[in-house]
Amino acid sequence: MNTLLKIENLHARVGEKEILRGIDLEIRAGEVHAIMGPNGSGKSTLSAVLAGRDTFTVTEGSVTYDGRDLLALTPEERSWAGIFLGFQYPTEIPGVSNVNLMKAAVAEHRKQRGLEPLGAAAFLKLMREKMAYVEMDSSFSSRGVNVGFSGGEKKRNEIFQMAMLEPRLAILDETDSGLDVDALRIVASGVNKLKRPDNAFIVITHYQRLLDYIVPDVIHVLYKGRIIKTAGRELALEIEEKGYDWLIHQSE
Amino acid sequence: MTVLREEGDVRLDTSAPSRVSLRLGPDAGAAYLVLQDDASADRVETDFDIRLAAGASLEMVFLSLRGEVLRNRIRVSLDGERASCSLNGLCLAGGSQQRDFDILLTHQVPACHSTQLFKSILGGGSVAHFDGLIKVVPDAQKTEAYQANHNLLVSDSARAHTRPQLEIYADDVKCSHGATVGRLNPDELFYMRSRGITLEEARLLQQLAFADEILEKIPVPEWQQRMRILVEECLR
Repeated sequence: MNTLLKIENLHARVGEKEILRGIDLEIRAGEVHAIMGPNGSGKSTLSAVLAGRDTFTVTEGSVTYDGRDLLALTPEERSWAGIFLGFQYPTEIPGVSNVNLMKAAVAEHRKQRGLEPLGAAAFLKLMREKMAYVEMDSSFSSRGVNVGFSGGEKKRNEIFQMAMLEPRLAILDETDSGLDVDALRIVASGVNKLKRPDNAFIVITHYQRLLDYIVPDVIHVLYKGRIIKTAGRELALEIEEKGYDWLIHQSE
Repeated sequence: MTVLREEGDVRLDTSAPSRVSLRLGPDAGAAYLVLQDDASADRVETDFDIRLAAGASLEMVFLSLRGEVLRNRIRVSLDGERASCSLNGLCLAGGSQQRDFDILLTHQVPACHSTQLFKSILGGGSVAHFDGLIKVVPDAQKTEAYQANHNLLVSDSARAHTRPQLEIYADDVKCSHGATVGRLNPDELFYMRSRGITLEEARLLQQLAFADEILEKIPVPEWQQRMRILVEECLR
């Protein structure tokens, strides 16, 4: 299988504080990787660095995506290349409607691939089709992006946007946090419908619960900015039962 | 100055240069769009002298788009009970351009209603001044008066000076005023870019969102849409 993402010895900091302290990770097309770990271990930082957030500075290491130096690309270039970040706390954008956000995003993605913009009818059909993936009501399309959305609605909106953009590598940052069981099932089934042999997912989560619905091939445990354990899906159950302490002890 | 609506006894006089006189008789209604968009204009100064009789209602939307120095001095007197006045304005400026709004709105009698919403998007080394005063005389009980001025600075050297003021001599009133000066939101920009929208386009979308609150005040949909296209053209 071909490697989609290769992270080598990645170090990153915010201000003077080093958060990622040497991450190595390789993801191949068709795989689902889960990243677990206690609060403050660097999970969200890793996803933000991969998406190109400039509040973090990479001080060492490299990230190769599809043969390219990912860290040299702007956030929008990463999106065009097929990277998608599902935010833990999706940003509210008052005054920009969901439909206008997606219109601009889809038009830019098509432009980058040398395609004409979609006609209005074709675009609306696509919106409707993808909203159905996450059982989202069509009234959401005219509302400001995430404005006044409940926690569950925001997360469904992330998965909807992912469905619209059909990424090759989706990074879902605690998409399960704040979701009740129904919303969790909807979000997870949205993800499962988008799984293909040529794309991959990084699912960041605190809880084993999500991994009942989105079954990972590999689980990594992140602690203090390093991956301290990599194993198969059975690790999630062990963590659910015993917590992280035994892993932390093993690594120290 | 574009007439969007006139009903009843409305006397609009634009015969004097740089001076607009507007009188609304009892229960008259009117809506106007004041579009200032002449890129070759060096300096445009306009005085608006406006009086509303009982039950009259006025809506005005000012768009100060292109031109070097654009100054508007607006005097509104609510002379009859139950008069209602809505003033809204959007300023766009860049380079060394200057935008001024100087407003005095007086509630002379009880039970009138006024709202003011003025916004500016300022780039380059442009400067905006907003000087707004709501005055409520001692007998003007049951007055409702609101005023807000919001400024978006899209460059490091643009400046906004804002002075929203209330002078209230009646005790049974509802009044508020407020002003903000802010910048483009980096979290919103990153969110849009992470969806593949270019930085330039993300900045534009945020500015259009900011401007839209004023454009929505234009009560005729066709004009609203035309002005939206024009504002987008100016911001690009």
